[in-house]
Amino acid sequence: MSDTVLTLEHVSKNFGAITAADDINIEVGQTEFFALLGPSGSGKTTMLRMIAGLETPDTGRIVIGGTDVTRLPPYKRGIGMVFQDFLLFPHKTVAENITFPLKMQRSSDTEKAEHLQWVVNLVHLEGLEDRYPHQLSGGQKQRVALARGLVSRPSLLLLDEPLANLDRELRKEMEVEIRRFQLELGIPFVYVTHNQEEALTMSDRMAIMRDGKMEQVGEKFSLYHNPTSQFVASFLGSPNVFSGRVSAVDGEIATLDWHGHAIQARAHGGLKPGDAATCYVKSEKIAIETDAGEMSGEIRDVIFKGQYADFLVLLDNGEEVTVSSSHRGQLVKGAKTHIIWKPENADGFPAGE
Amino acid sequence: MKNNRLFFWVLTGPGTAFLLLFLILPLMSIVVFSFWRTESYHLYADWNLDNYRVLATNPSYVTFLLRSLFMASVVSFVSLVVAWPVAFFITRYGGQFKIILLLLTSTPFLTGEILRVTAMQQILGPIGLINMALTTFGFDPVTALMYSKTATAIGLIYLWLPFMVLAIHLSLLNFDFELLQVAKVNGARPLRAFWEVTWPLNRAGSAIGVVLVFIPTLASSITSKFLGGPNGALFGNILAHQFGSTGTWALGSAMGVVLFVISLLVLYIVWKSIGDLNRSGITIKGGAE
Repeated sequence: MSDTVLTLEHVSKNFGAITAADDINIEVGQTEFFALLGPSGSGKTTMLRMIAGLETPDTGRIVIGGTDVTRLPPYKRGIGMVFQDFLLFPHKTVAENITFPLKMQRSSDTEKAEHLQWVVNLVHLEGLEDRYPHQLSGGQKQRVALARGLVSRPSLLLLDEPLANLDRELRKEMEVEIRRFQLELGIPFVYVTHNQEEALTMSDRMAIMRDGKMEQVGEKFSLYHNPTSQFVASFLGSPNVFSGRVSAVDGEIATLDWHGHAIQARAHGGLKPGDAATCYVKSEKIAIETDAGEMSGEIRDVIFKGQYADFLVLLDNGEEVTVSSSHRGQLVKGAKTHIIWKPENADGFPAGE
Repeated sequence: MKNNRLFFWVLTGPGTAFLLLFLILPLMSIVVFSFWRTESYHLYADWNLDNYRVLATNPSYVTFLLRSLFMASVVSFVSLVVAWPVAFFITRYGGQFKIILLLLTSTPFLTGEILRVTAMQQILGPIGLINMALTTFGFDPVTALMYSKTATAIGLIYLWLPFMVLAIHLSLLNFDFELLQVAKVNGARPLRAFWEVTWPLNRAGSAIGVVLVFIPTLASSITSKFLGGPNGALFGNILAHQFGSTGTWALGSAMGVVLFVISLLVLYIVWKSIGDLNRSGITIKGGAE
């Protein structure tokens, strides 16, 4: 990448016996929204704190804008950061909170006023400049935190679960807005979250982390549709899990014997006949039909969600599969049905990896 | 309703009675005595303002009062500066030892004030640890430490420092140290971060600490008696004198009233110095709106 802003090279960090980062390599480009996604304890926050300078890696290098900042204290890195829990200064007004980074840079009063005006308009905080944080709603606090991160026009903005404490509706609204800020400013955002919906909505590329390791990095569509790591296949979306034994491998496609059915999936991790395998199929990639077919059963329950519905299908072999599809009148509880998916929509991995 | 009222009196009654009997009444009697007259070890109830006139016009009383005020200011300031790092590190890095470390700061209280001040003599005095060591190695002893106002100040700081540490520590317990990281990421060096965030958000703790050190120092007499030397008497020494050998209780009472009024004044000034509660961040934690 020619316009790389942030580079992590072989970064590792241990806290005692816990590995928070294990040989991490990341490159983030100039106009990129990069999400670090993983369950809690996967090391994603530690990664962000190392980029910010709040933690120092044991080994490896961190480069921001061509400068090696690995050993630089946070106050010399010139980046913006938005924290979980907002972390506004309770004794400073909204305007003072927002202009704090400029004050530390000893900017002139006119510059402060100009930047404040600009960022207040950007995040829609007009008229709240003289309030104290305790007089703001959750959403307003979040906007102030964002404004404080953006006011000095940093070369990079880090966001640590910034929406975790907002209610669902507000979160949806902020997701769209944060993405809009990023596009408008044209600076990279590195966004840490455990919420895959957030990551998928906002990001261009994402990295999925587990136990301090980077499982897979890439464009969000490719991670979602073409997982190459078993963890990623099991983590993204809400996949059904099928465990069986490989009966045949034909090129990229493996056939598994699953409770009397032959199911097909893309073969990963060098699957060969005779191997125990686990296959993941996202619920919306399974088709549900009302006529008879290969894998038949009956609908045990329908969970209606408006735009779509989850159908719990009890197959004749006694196994249950969840299918997400648009709601149709014929698909009622007790209806006979069969399910089917294309082999390229399923991913098989060696079991017990 | 009736039950509630009974409950209220049962809970608050004993405390109120105690305070009335042992705090308010004696204070009132002091105020009353200060307007009376003493002669040959007897109190006479002739109402007059003579005691206050003497205190205001006799330059030696004014001098002692000013000296005590100066001493209390210095002791409070030095305690504040010394206590802050101690309290900060106990709160921030004390971990599971926080309570033990805090209790350790109060070890001097395991023994009485006179014993503690005498112990200080063993460090500061002419044959104390410091000067003995110096003379043993052929240096001149530090005379400033021997029976001087400096010695008194050191003794007083030693006596009252734990209160300052405790007040700041209790304030820091409610402080979100993550705010310091926010300040640093936003470009503040450590000292700047302290000044912008830690100090203003814990001003109330500092203020309470200053009150807890200033007021007892203002009235102190024992430390200066043991460490202050012949010219080191403070207002408290002169006050104690009135109730001792000279037996001029009325004048002593007037001096007590003066101390009491000054203490109230200090409380008021400190309260005012905290100023806008928004600026101290106090409004963020509980309490009535």
